[in-house]
Order: sequence, then structure tokens, then C-alpha cells
Amino acid sequence: MKVISKEDFKDFVNALIKDDSRHVIGVKARGNKFAFGTLESADELRLDYDVTLLPPKKYFFPQRETLFTYDLADGFSTKNPEDAKPMLIIGVHPYDIVALLHMDEIFRDTKSDPYYFKKRESSIIIGVNIQKMSKWNFSSFMGCSVIDYGYDLMLTDLGNRYGINVGSSKGEALLLKYAKNIMPALARDIQIAGQKKQEVWKMVQQKLDFPAELIPELLGASYSRSGFWESHSEKCLACGSCVLVCPTCYCFDVKDNPDLTLEQGERIRTWDGCLLEDFAKIASGENFRATRPTRYRHRYFKKGKYLFDRFGFVSCVGCGRCSSNCLPDIANPVNLFNDMYHEIRNSGMQMPSSATHPEVSISTEGNIDYVPELGTIIKKVPMTAYETLFEIRLDDGSELGHKPGQFVEVSVFGIGEAPISISSSPTKKKTFELCVRKLGNVTTRMHNLDVGAKVGIRGPFGNGFDVESLKGKDLLFVAGGLGIAPLRSLFNFVLDRRKDYGRVTLLYGCKEPKEMLFGEELALLASRDDVEFKSTVNWCPENELWSGNIGVITTLIPLVEFDPEKTTTILCGPPVMYKFVIAELKSRNVPDENIIMSLERRMKCGVGKCGHCQINQIYVCKDGPVFNYSKIKGVPEAL
Amino acid sequence: MKPKVAFFDFAGCEGDQLQVANLEEELLTLLGQVEVVAFREVMKEHNDNYEIAFIEGSCTRLQDEDRLKQIRKNAKIVVAIGSCAAIGGINSLRNYKDLESVKKTVYGENAKLFDSYAARPIDAIIPVDAYVYGCPIDREDFLHVVKSLLLGKKPETPTYPVCVECKKNENICAFERGQFCVGPVTRAGCNSCCVNEGTICWGCRGFVDNPNENAHKEVLIKYGFTVDEAIGKFKLYFGWQEAKR
Amino acid sequence: MKNQNIEVAVHHVTRVEGHGNIYVNIQKGVVEKCEWSIPEAPRFFEAMVEGRSWNELHHITSRICGICSIGHSLASLKATEAAMGLTISEQDIKLRKLALHGENLQSHILHLGFLVLPDLMGVGSVIPLASTNLPEVKTVLRLHRLANEMSNLVCGRTTHPQRLIPGGFSKIPTIKELTELRKKLQDSIPSLQAVAELFKSLVDKFPKFRRETEFIALTDPNEYALYDGLIASSDTGTAPAREYLAFANEYVVPRSTAKWAKHVRESYMVGALARLNINYKRLSPMARETSDKFNLLPMCHNPFMNNIAQLVEVVHGFEDSIRLINELEAAGLQSQPEYYKPEIKVKAGQGVGAVEVPRGILFHDYTYNAKGVCTKANCIIPTNQNHANIELDMKALLPQVIDKSQKEIELTLEMLVRAYDPCISCSTHAVKVNFT
Repeated sequence: MKVISKEDFKDFVNALIKDDSRHVIGVKARGNKFAFGTLESADELRLDYDVTLLPPKKYFFPQRETLFTYDLADGFSTKNPEDAKPMLIIGVHPYDIVALLHMDEIFRDTKSDPYYFKKRESSIIIGVNIQKMSKWNFSSFMGCSVIDYGYDLMLTDLGNRYGINVGSSKGEALLLKYAKNIMPALARDIQIAGQKKQEVWKMVQQKLDFPAELIPELLGASYSRSGFWESHSEKCLACGSCVLVCPTCYCFDVKDNPDLTLEQGERIRTWDGCLLEDFAKIASGENFRATRPTRYRHRYFKKGKYLFDRFGFVSCVGCGRCSSNCLPDIANPVNLFNDMYHEIRNSGMQMPSSATHPEVSISTEGNIDYVPELGTIIKKVPMTAYETLFEIRLDDGSELGHKPGQFVEVSVFGIGEAPISISSSPTKKKTFELCVRKLGNVTTRMHNLDVGAKVGIRGPFGNGFDVESLKGKDLLFVAGGLGIAPLRSLFNFVLDRRKDYGRVTLLYGCKEPKEMLFGEELALLASRDDVEFKSTVNWCPENELWSGNIGVITTLIPLVEFDPEKTTTILCGPPVMYKFVIAELKSRNVPDENIIMSLERRMKCGVGKCGHCQINQIYVCKDGPVFNYSKIKGVPEAL
Repeated sequence: MKPKVAFFDFAGCEGDQLQVANLEEELLTLLGQVEVVAFREVMKEHNDNYEIAFIEGSCTRLQDEDRLKQIRKNAKIVVAIGSCAAIGGINSLRNYKDLESVKKTVYGENAKLFDSYAARPIDAIIPVDAYVYGCPIDREDFLHVVKSLLLGKKPETPTYPVCVECKKNENICAFERGQFCVGPVTRAGCNSCCVNEGTICWGCRGFVDNPNENAHKEVLIKYGFTVDEAIGKFKLYFGWQEAKR
Repeated sequence: MKNQNIEVAVHHVTRVEGHGNIYVNIQKGVVEKCEWSIPEAPRFFEAMVEGRSWNELHHITSRICGICSIGHSLASLKATEAAMGLTISEQDIKLRKLALHGENLQSHILHLGFLVLPDLMGVGSVIPLASTNLPEVKTVLRLHRLANEMSNLVCGRTTHPQRLIPGGFSKIPTIKELTELRKKLQDSIPSLQAVAELFKSLVDKFPKFRRETEFIALTDPNEYALYDGLIASSDTGTAPAREYLAFANEYVVPRSTAKWAKHVRESYMVGALARLNINYKRLSPMARETSDKFNLLPMCHNPFMNNIAQLVEVVHGFEDSIRLINELEAAGLQSQPEYYKPEIKVKAGQGVGAVEVPRGILFHDYTYNAKGVCTKANCIIPTNQNHANIELDMKALLPQVIDKSQKEIELTLEMLVRAYDPCISCSTHAVKVNFT
């Protein structure tokens, strides 16, 4: 540890501000509150603060961020935003530093977020040990009130001087360049610093009644206690305050913002929150988390269980901002976890003595691409009143290179982006097909585009079907309504490699005949003898012709002979279909692992970051949309 | 082909139409995208051949209903601009007073002056396709609706409360400053502009779709306000919406 | 054509704020009927504020008008502050004066550029002018935008300003922001002069009409009064604001949802022309120069010249705003806490606030009980005070144009109404009528 007088430290800060090569940010007073802001002089700095209104994440993951600008008049060109000055942030408390470390791991999970890391990697963090604590802070219980890592420099207040711990070569270089009169620490400095850090525990006014490492276990035992969640969330205003001020929350929304000429515009991402009513709502109007208790519960589970299971940390650093900002006072994790702990204990359940830690293996392969490639609509075939099949070729001539079951995010610049399953098999080269239902803004607009029009394409995303594991098996496809669109990508793949697979059966059900998709193709199937095809409609109106089966899709399953052990069933359809089809398959003794399904949710980023598609701990866009039933049957929100 | 648009006003202060004029140079860009065929405040010409009708002001008397229905007939798209047209606005404050003041003053042949009933938003009379909330409307919000309509897109309106924007703007909560704020049950979309200017949210954009009123009332009591004060605050802009709930 | 039969029925005059109707019936060259009537929906503001708290009234009454909401807010605040015995700091008074300038500038520029100019250029609206006279239209828009930037800076927003609160401001601009504004104002002087030149070239299109009338406006010995002053009548002299009822005697007219007013004559006029007639000597130097260029000197009894008086006030507004910012800078801007809310000792009382808004003198009169709840309110709007003058002017003007075509008569009468720049929805703010 080194030591610097407070006067020299002021000079150090003023020198940094004067230098102007960095954006110097520090904690400043706002009335009797505090907030990070641009420093005009070292006099503004208030290192003795308790907590800031918003955490420093606002600098790395801003409230509003331009992903790119587009210009339709200039050949649909896109431009990335300009680089901002690198930042230097002074006064970050240990719990906020830990929160940034959480965010680092989250933003590099599977693929790396370039916008976040550009800022993170070019910035310098000067931390400060806690001198005052807000009454809501419980960071000591979360192991976050003192740290020895994650900063470039760390300050400890020693009275008339600061102790400085150097955390990186960047920090070392900073001191060399801008600071004067740095002295090595004396023994008394070391001891005082040590005492100060211990004193932090004395400042805590919250009390967690059990070891924090048991939080994931407690949550695991509480998911279905609906009475508990209902009573705790009764007063929720769905105002989103708890998640917006949280240093580890990272859900975001993506929107297009055209200018008035409609030719130019930008795509932006903004903070979003899972507590907000429409967070999990999709274009059809279905809301996968429509009630207060389900949303309220999701926040605690995401922080305390889902992120724990994936990353090994409970994603709460105990800063207390959620508690202090919750007007009806229902957001305090300490109160909630204590209530949960006591309820479980009183119910006679055994509490484990220590936590089981998950196996964590996070890898990063390249950057997330938020900027779409251009594609051209080369064919457009209306199939029903609401669905049209589009054939698209990427402008740079490259293959989409997708797996059956994957999806793309289609951009109509100025309107937005929509996730659409790829409906063609990758064996069809050069172009790919999308079956688009006219439902929301993007899809409606797409329907009005002509052949030759340009769209943006990102992807392919999702895990897709594991075609290797299906080799040699008998395949039973069950498609409901628009569910045939993604299944077609696998179905046609299988037909193109027919020899690799056993018996192939396709069951397809729609509400009524005029809603049948791919009518001509399916008619050809009927004439093939290496494929069994059956279709049904729920009902047939008087003016329509239908000579086939009438009844819901489950009525077709008894008409098919198949060996449950040798057959893999592949399902896709509206949410309501799954329960009934699975029940029917189970009654035929199909083992769980022989049932595969493709699920839909509200997708935005496509890469498991923005949070909208989450089913409990699963990101549908990344861990799905194809799921094996055995893996998700225990997941409450899935079906 | 530029779509034809028309502006109409009923019982209001014309502040929302002024906001359109306040687009300044962007007004010229707007005029490049639409053809204004009727806008009484600004032009002499009037043409009943329009596709999009922007309506400001509440419906406060029977004779207004016919005018509204005629506009609905002529237009493909009807947009309510401003709180008065969208939710009843400040005009609905007097809905609670109507009987008293009218009783004192109605007299003889001048009864027609009092051809007046509870102030109501225009969707109480005709179906409305889009809303620009606020008292006054925010210019960016207005342009967002216009751009959406031009792009054939359903305009996005937040269903979450003003608190979201307040937190993003790093405001210090009004309740922490000992003041009474209706933000937790008010529809966002204004970027918490009033709190940004140092005051509170008065609720001019109307309720969110599913306000947790009971929770909000409990919060008010927790912070030392009375239920009467709460009810009083809710009457300012929520008068019509409250009566409907 | 002499001795003609003409019916002029203008339903909802265009290019004015609010709804007004002109009805004229001429039989064989004789005026049988000439009426100015207001069908605007009444809005009951005076009833609405009863029972509301002292810290809400300015927010509610601001909604009387979208164009003069700064003026209504200030009149309202002055009335409340007078009732509670509150004084406002010098700095806040200067900022409030800046706010009023912002409003006056925005309103006058909009009126002259969008509502009056089309008549002088022979078109129906400013929209075709955007093609034929783009540079001029852009100049008007630029000046209009600057006026709004000024209001936004000082009040938070032009329409329904949030920063104006009882006792002062919830937030004030920084000195940096004010000096940046000052530079923009200074840089705009050439544009102002261009607009003045444009109107000079068109001013002869206004009829040369004269009908003697009384003028009422605020007056102050030291400055061109907008924010504060005594009530002055060109006929009777001055009196303090709280005696406003002696001047503005409102009465009901059956065909009008808005009340009319009179003083010592059948009618009187308020607005820019009234202010200029009474306070000409206190115009800023450049404004005086502009007024002289148009030969607009007291006492001018041509209501069409209200338009030019507005133009003169625009010049005055720019110069005076620069002066106010100079004074604020010299005194050093005192900062105040964020989210400022002055402590107010609430008590029973009655207070009157009088303020000049673009269209004329405005009065708000409130009575509060000991709990600070409003028990009675009275608002007298400038346009109410002009309605009688408008009709009498129409009647006097008609003989001058009686032999012209119907279209010309219609246009002349409309131009007369527009010259007053009426704010009709304001004037139907209330229906609380006492019948005798």
C-alpha cells in the first residue's frame, strides 16, 4: 500500500481534470444525496458518501445507447456510433466494483458485447473503501463490502491522508504520471487501514438471519409457494424502480428511431425491467409473465438462483438501492429472504448447512453483432390471408449457414426487428425462406414490401435441432398452425437426407382449411411413399372444402403407429398445444427424452442478453428455441 | 402520395396545437411528409377530404358529439392529442362540481349557455386510433406518433409509470423530498419532464393501464398524506378515468 | 357595388385562437345586423379552482390558455403571493420578467408570421409561403424557436411552465446558459430588422381606420410594464391592481359564451396597441426607432396597428431581455438548491395579480381560507375586455367597405378580428354568471 496526503490527492485529481484526455467522473453531492457526475474540480468530490442514486454501470451500459445509425437513401448504409473519451471514475465502493465484475461475466457469456467492453476496457476505476453506509446496505452479508481486486487504484481514508492500493499497471502508471509525493505506507497506515475495513461490518444496519450462501437453496424450495409471492407483491406498483437502480441488472429493449424524413434513423437500446408489465409480452398479445407475483418472483429468482446456477454468484451485491427506492417497501431482499427462511424453517423443512456450488464454464466466442447484414427479398408467395413466404438472399452472396430450428432477427429499418424462424432447410443453398405472419409492426410492414426490397438480417440464432442425434431414428413431427414453419426447416432437411433417417411422419393441424400453410408442398407429400402425412382442422366452415380429418391435432396421434422407444417426436405450435400433445404422447409411453419442442418467447437481442425471452433461468434465444422435454419439464414457466 | 391531415379543436386551451407550431423548422419537414388540409388556427382553407384527423380538446356538450362523429366519418385515422382529448384532462376537474355551480347560475333563456355536461375524452363518443398524451403534448411524442402512422406502424405507448423515466434521469424521488407525486400510477412517455424541472408529476398523461391504486394510496399514507389529499390529487387529471374504473 | 344585399357569415374565424363568429347582414346598402359572437365551449375554471390548495392554482389556471400559460401562471402566482403576503427576490423578479418576454416574443412572432402575414401576402396560410418565400418563413421560424428556447430555459417549457411556483422557481438557469442565450438574442437582431422591413413593405395593406376608444394597460414609471405596475386608463388615469373591478366591468351577452367588459365608454381596448399608447416613452431605444419608422405614435386609434405594436414589442422584448441578462450577470446569479420549494406560511387572505400577456392586461383574484384552500376566484382575460371593442369597430368599419365585394368585406372584417389577436378559449374560461 502507498500513502498520499489529501492535499496531494486533490492536486492529483485536478491534474487529471486539466489534462482533458479522459472524462473524469466522481461522486458529487446532490442535496443530501450523492451521484456520479463529471468533475469540474477536485473540490466537488465527496468520497465520504454512503451510496449513489445510480450505480456506475450507467457509464458502461447507458440508459440509452445508439447501436448504429442507418441511411436508407445511402444504399441502406449503417454506421457505428463515434467513440467517446475514455473514462476515469473516482470513488467506486467495493460492492459496486463487484457488481461491475458480475456485469463483465454476464456480458461476455457465450458472445461478448462490444459496446460494453469498449467502454469498460478503456476506463480506469479508482475505488474507495466505505466510510459511511446507508441504512439499507447489506453488502457485508454478500461479501462485497471489502475487496482486494477489480480496481486500478483503491483508496482508504486514513484521516489526513489516503492509503492507495495499486490494482493494475494502469493504476500504477496513473500515479506515476499525475501524482506527487506518493510515499510507501508505514506500519501504522497498514494497521489503520485494516481497522477501517473491519469497521465496515459495524456500520451495517440490516441483518440477514442466515448465511447468504444458502439463498439459492431457499429460493429453490420456494418457487411454488404462491401465497408467499402473492402477499409480498400485493403492493407492487410495477414501477420498475428496484431493477432500474440495481448495479447488476442488465435487461434492455431495442427500438428503431427514424427521423422525420423516414430515410435516416438509429437503432437504440434502452434500459428495461422485468418488473414492468409488458416485459414478457409478444406481438400476439400473449404475456408470459402477466401477474405481479410472477414478475416479482422472477426478479429474486434471477438474482438469487438463475444467475447463481449459471455463473456461481448470487447476483446481488447488497447495495440497498432497490430497498431505498421502493415506495411501498417490498423490494428489500433482506426482508424477503428472512421471511422465506423463517417460513421454510417453520414448515419443518431441513436447511442444508452449506451451499452446493454449480459447475461454472463460461466461454466466449467472438462479439455479438448488433448490426444487421443486408438481404434482398427475391420471392414473395402469399399462402394465407395472414402468412406470406419470403425467399431472401444475402446481398454479399454468402450463405446464411443455419441449422434447422434456428431463427433470424429481421430488420425493417425504421420500424424495428422481429424474430422469425427459418423455414427452409440449410440444404437449400444460396437463399433461405421465412414464413412471416402479419401480426405486429415489423411483420405488417414486411408484408407490404415488394420483391427487390431490402431487409436487415441478423443471425442465425438459437441452438437449432441436433440433426446428428436424430440419425437413424424414426421421426414423428407434430405441427400446429404456424408451428409448421420452423419444423419445415428440419423436415425438408430430413427429406433431403432421407436415407439417414427411419420412418418419417408429419402430423399437421390448423384451426380451419384456409389457414393451412404450404398447401401445395404438403399435397406432394401425400404422394410420397417414404413419408406418412396426416392433416386435420379443428372445424370446417360451410363455404370451405375439406375432406380430411376434423378434430384437434391430438386426434391424429392415435391414428399413427409408432414405436415410442425408437421414435423421436418433434413438436411446434401455439403455447396451448404442448400440454395436450405431450399428454397424448405420454399415454403412448413416449419417454421424456424422446420429445423435442421448439418454443417461442419475446426475443429482442437474439443472444441471451436483453432478458425478454427468459423462461426462469433459460434464455430461449440462446439455450433454445429447441428444447428436450426432459430438460424443461421441471421448469415452471416453460409450458 | 402525402397523406392528408386535418386539425380540430374542442374544449381546450389550444396548447397542443401550439406545440405542433412549436416544431419550428421541423414543421417544414413535417409539411414535406403530410398535406395539411384543415387547421383552423393557422390556415383559412378547409377541406373535408382528409385521412388523418388530429383532435385536441374534450367533448363538453351535446353539440360537440355531432362534430366528432362527422370527423370520424371523414377520417381513416383519428388521433386524440393532449390530455383533454385523450383522457378528459383538466376539464374533468369540474365534473365533480357541475351540479352545484350550474344550480346557482342557470337562468332562463341563457340556459343554452349551459349546454354542458361532464367533460369527457373524445373516445367516449367515437373510436380513436392513436393517442398523444400529455398536457401539453411533448413534441417528440407527437412526431413519434406521426412517424409511426406514416410508416404504417402502431405507435408505441409506454404502459409503465413515470417512475421508470425518473429513475433513468437520476432524479431524487419526490416522496423523499416530502412532496406528493402521482408518478407511480401515471403513464410514462414524457421523460419525467416535470420532475426534471424540479417539481413533481401531476398525472397529466393519465393512468397506466393497470394502476395499483391501493398500493399508491398506502404509499401516500405512509409518507404522511391523507386519503382526502390523495383523492384530491387524483381528481386533477384522472377524473374521467377514475369515474370509469 | 352600391346599395347591395350582402350576408357575411363567418363560422369559426380562421387564424385566430379559439372559435368566434362574424355575422353581418346588409340590406340595400344599409347595415341591418353586425355581430361578433363567441360559441366557444365554456370551461368553468373559476369553479374548478374552488376547494383546491394554494400550491395547485397556478398549475390549473395555466391550462386556461396554451399560448399565454406563462402569463396566466404568473398572474396566478402573484395573486396567491399577494394573498399570503409573500415577497419575491429581485433575482426571481428579473427571471419572471424574462419569462414574460419569452412568452410575448413567441406569441407575437407566431401571430405576425403565421396568422397575419398570409393576409398581407394574399394567401390562405403560411404553408404556401413556405414554397414562395422560404427565406422569410425560415427567419420567422428561427426567431420563434429562439423565443421558445428562452421560455424553456427560464420556465422549463413554453406551454404550462413547470418551474414557476409560489415564491419563485423550482429550478433556475445557470449564468452560462443565460449568457449563451444573450449571444443568440444579440445575433438575431439582423433577422428582426429583416422582419420589420418586410412588414414595412406591407403595412399599407391595413385599412386606414380610426375609431376613438379607451385604452387600458399596466404602467410603471421605470420600464415598459409587463410583469408589474399600476392599472392605467387613457381616459381616467392610474389605480392599483387590486381595484381592477372598477375598470373591468364584465357583463353577459346572450350570443356569447364569453363575457364582455366596459369602463367609462361603451368599450375599451387592451393589448399591444394599448400598452404602446400608454407606455411609448419607456420602449427600448431600438423599439422606439421601429415604432417611429412606422409612424406609430401615441395616441393611435387604428386597431389594425395593434399588429405593428406587436412588432415593436418584439424588438423591445429582445433588447430588454438582453438588459435583464446583463443585470443578472452583474449582480451574480445566486444559486438555489435542486428541486427548490420555498417555505410558505399559509394564511387566509385575498390577493390580485395583474400581468400583461400578449393580448392585454390579465387579472387573477383569489380568496383563500386559513388552510390555504381557495374559496373564491375571479379571472378577467384580455380578450373578454376586447370583445365589445371588436364589435363596435366592426360596426364603424363597415360603412368604409360597404360598397366592396362580399369577399373583400369578409376579409377586412376577419383582418380586423385578427388584428386583436384574440385568445377566445381563454375568454370562455368561466361561466359564473350573476343575473340581476
